[in-house]
Amino acid sequence: MVMKRPPEAGEILQGTLDMLILRTLVLGPAHGHTIAQAIEWTSENALEIEQGSLYPALHRLEDRGWVSSEWGVSANNRRAKFYRLTIKGRKELNDATGRWRRMTRAIGLILGESFE
Amino acid sequence: MSLRWFSNRTRKDQDFAEEIESHVAHEVDANTAHGLSPEEARRKAHLRFGNARTVREREWRDRSLPWFEDLKRDFSFALRALAKAPGFAIIAVVVIAVGIGVNTAVFSVIDAVLLKPLTYPNPEELVSLTNTSPEGSFPGASIPRFSLWRQQTSIFQQVAAYDFGGAGLNITGSDHPQQVEGVHVSADYFAMFGAPVVAGRTFTAAEDSPNGGHVTVLSYGLWKSRYGGNPNIVGSTIQLDGQPYLVVGVVGPKFVTDTPADLWVPFQFDLNSKDMVVFFTVAARLKNGVTIPQANAQLRLVADQFRRLYGDDSLPHGGGFGVASLQQELIGDTGSRLLVLWGAVAFVLLIACANVANLLLARAAARKREFATRAALGAGRGQIIRQLLVESLTLSLTGGLIGLGLGFAGVRLLLKMNSGDIPRIGEDGAGITLDLNILLFTLGISILTGLVFGMVPAISASRANLAAALNENGTHASIGVRSGKLRSVLVIAEMALTVVLVVGAALLVRTFMNLQAVDPGFAMHNVISMSMSVSGDRFQKTAPVAQVIQQGTDRLHAVPGIIDAGVSNCLPMAGGFGMSFDVVGRPKGNSPSTGGAGFCSISYGYFNSLKIPLLRGRSFTKEDDAAAPLVAVINQAMARQYWPNGDPLKERILIGAGAGPAFAEGSRQVIGIVGDTHDGGPNRDPSPMMYIPLAQMPDLETALNSRVAPLWWFVRSQVDPRTLTKTITTALREASDGLPVAHIRTMEEIEATNIARQRLNMMLLAIFGSAGLLMAAIGVYGVMSYSVQQRTQELGVRMALGAQASNLRNMVIRQGMTLTLIGVVVGAGGAFWLTHFLKSFLFGVKPLDPISFIATPLLLSFVALVSIWAPAIRATRVDPMTALRVE
Repeated sequence: MVMKRPPEAGEILQGTLDMLILRTLVLGPAHGHTIAQAIEWTSENALEIEQGSLYPALHRLEDRGWVSSEWGVSANNRRAKFYRLTIKGRKELNDATGRWRRMTRAIGLILGESFE
Repeated sequence: MSLRWFSNRTRKDQDFAEEIESHVAHEVDANTAHGLSPEEARRKAHLRFGNARTVREREWRDRSLPWFEDLKRDFSFALRALAKAPGFAIIAVVVIAVGIGVNTAVFSVIDAVLLKPLTYPNPEELVSLTNTSPEGSFPGASIPRFSLWRQQTSIFQQVAAYDFGGAGLNITGSDHPQQVEGVHVSADYFAMFGAPVVAGRTFTAAEDSPNGGHVTVLSYGLWKSRYGGNPNIVGSTIQLDGQPYLVVGVVGPKFVTDTPADLWVPFQFDLNSKDMVVFFTVAARLKNGVTIPQANAQLRLVADQFRRLYGDDSLPHGGGFGVASLQQELIGDTGSRLLVLWGAVAFVLLIACANVANLLLARAAARKREFATRAALGAGRGQIIRQLLVESLTLSLTGGLIGLGLGFAGVRLLLKMNSGDIPRIGEDGAGITLDLNILLFTLGISILTGLVFGMVPAISASRANLAAALNENGTHASIGVRSGKLRSVLVIAEMALTVVLVVGAALLVRTFMNLQAVDPGFAMHNVISMSMSVSGDRFQKTAPVAQVIQQGTDRLHAVPGIIDAGVSNCLPMAGGFGMSFDVVGRPKGNSPSTGGAGFCSISYGYFNSLKIPLLRGRSFTKEDDAAAPLVAVINQAMARQYWPNGDPLKERILIGAGAGPAFAEGSRQVIGIVGDTHDGGPNRDPSPMMYIPLAQMPDLETALNSRVAPLWWFVRSQVDPRTLTKTITTALREASDGLPVAHIRTMEEIEATNIARQRLNMMLLAIFGSAGLLMAAIGVYGVMSYSVQQRTQELGVRMALGAQASNLRNMVIRQGMTLTLIGVVVGAGGAFWLTHFLKSFLFGVKPLDPISFIATPLLLSFVALVSIWAPAIRATRVDPMTALRVE
């Protein structure tokens, strides 16, 4: 049985965050802090992850079976919960990336060249 | 998944907390690596993460159903709030439990009688065949009718005949002869009712034809009790009335017929018979898709055919055939009776609701500051209403649960004491079982009740003026004019509803008293009755039956303590068989006979045993036997109706003229007139009756009788006849060469079952009325106490200004009685209109009975006055100093 939750504001953004997290995990299992840093660094700090929303997103992904998690020890020798992409998650990442590409292309077509 | 998901929540939250901790630690590590001091690194890490608690809370909430959480919180809050006011909670729950309990009780009976289908497969297809006439329709069949009906294969799947009640049979051939309910049936009977066969088979068509041999089918109960469940019973032979009968089958335990049967034997009708005697009943199963109106249309044609076959006289003028739903037939008028009771219990529930609403209003007033505070802290109006509703639902569901147990146990207990002549409820009400219908009903009215009595106070409390309420002194936060009025209206409503209930109860009590006061016309004290089946070949002629009666009577006369014994072929207090008669020599005009009257064959000891007084002429003696001239005795009602001016003792009557060959006999001299008896129950007027000596019955009639009805013995003694039961049964068995007796009951017991329905109606309404009265008393007491408490200060001022204690007391009483009187007047108006629904339940009292209509308001006013007295006295005890110092 799937629990229905009330839709939250910023559905697109939330969906985007999910996609970014899944993309980060393609490289291998990571804990929350690494994921946040990886997103920030890879985007050249253009995207700043609100850390308070990272974890709810991770838990949501786990509920949907797109990632799995287990406690382990980090590079800093600290206890941390590591998230791993599942097969279902990999497929979802593919779908989401495709959707994103189509959408950005469509938006790009409408906006056209710059106006200077 | 959801439940585990909920239970995992706490663990997940713990996990999350650790995860956050780990995250922050990593951030601190990163910051330290950037060269920040440990404190700065820690501070920045926390700043960066934001409020961890908020995040956790959000996640917690995301993982829950918000309304469920809120409800859970409201519920636990409600429990705490109620625990703080246990007195209130207990009273409220008890009042609701009573209100819901009586509803559950009555509903469970309605469920068993009206809602549960018959236990046969596809019961809606089953119909009883009836004889229609302008006066109504009645069941009953003769062989020619049955024969014609069963040919109607276009509308019926099966048509089956069975005994009305049955004469009973005797299992003989052992040391313990036993009278059993042996029912004659036609072969299709079992198939039609879908009787499950657990061993052997049922009757074949050949076995159900004349000379089909002696065969029987046993009921599961008899097979178990008398034959110990012997697996080899099928194919063996048992003795019935001295004759060997082959057991061909046993039917299953679930097969319960309306007339309980121990065993069945085939009718073996000669379907070519032209005998018009109506002595059994017929039911049929409609063909698939055939409706009752369609069947009725077809049967009208069948009636015409019947007339063509057997002559115009074979059916009465305007008479015909029809069908009626078998379930309807079984229920009879019980439906309307139960609906009246349901109306009464709905009133009790309404009173209970008004009462609890009243209590809640008082409580809401006391908690006004609490609500205002909560509103000030941001609780929305909806939240306050919701919380109050959850509180009232908590009360109503608790009350409902108790009410379910109370009502269910109560109805079983009540019906055990008095089954009230209600069909389909089984032995002592055992047919009433707790099923989903009852559970859903109780749950439904519990919720409805909670909403009804909770809504009014909830809305009125949520309307509170914040500032005013917070500013008020807590000790006498007033409830406001609006809810004060509301409470008065509720009390008036309670009073009005109670008046209606109590008037109804008073009418039924008067009915019952009237019934008991009726002189039945015969002795009931120290008279015992019992049945003796004279079935079997031995009793197909009158002489052996007369001999058994005479020998039995002689034996009983020899028993010390026994005054007299008599026999009748009529069921005690059930009246005689209807029979036409002619007065010899009197012109009949156009009608086929002089008239009709009840007809009973009796022994010479009958009148004396039952102390039925001889008014004129002489009674039967031993000498009025088959060899003596034919004689008859009539009752006073018959003399009045048919000899308004003449003298019946000078005339002869011809009984059963044209009723068929079984009743063919010579004319009889009327030799005596006896007193009237209320045979059909005390609420029926005595009807004309004619009696003949059993010893003078035509042989054919005796033979017919032996199949239709047993003989009933009536024995009157100087002592309690129950102490003589053993002596009597032994004497009768010896005198009859081994016939057992059954249905041993005193006349008082029979009388009690005769008026059982009135007794049950009266008891129930009395219970409901008392419950209503009690609640109304609590209601008016509550309102007046509260009012006095609220006005402590005003009363103090009045007292300080010199008001006398008696003035204050009278003021309170005046106010309380004003509410009461308004309620009583409104209620009397309602009763005026509603009591006519009770009309058919009343005897000897009119729906607008002045005594009931005067006594009830007086009683209610008195109860109200008593209830108001305590608060009124309290008003006089107000100490002016204390009252004024409160400010």
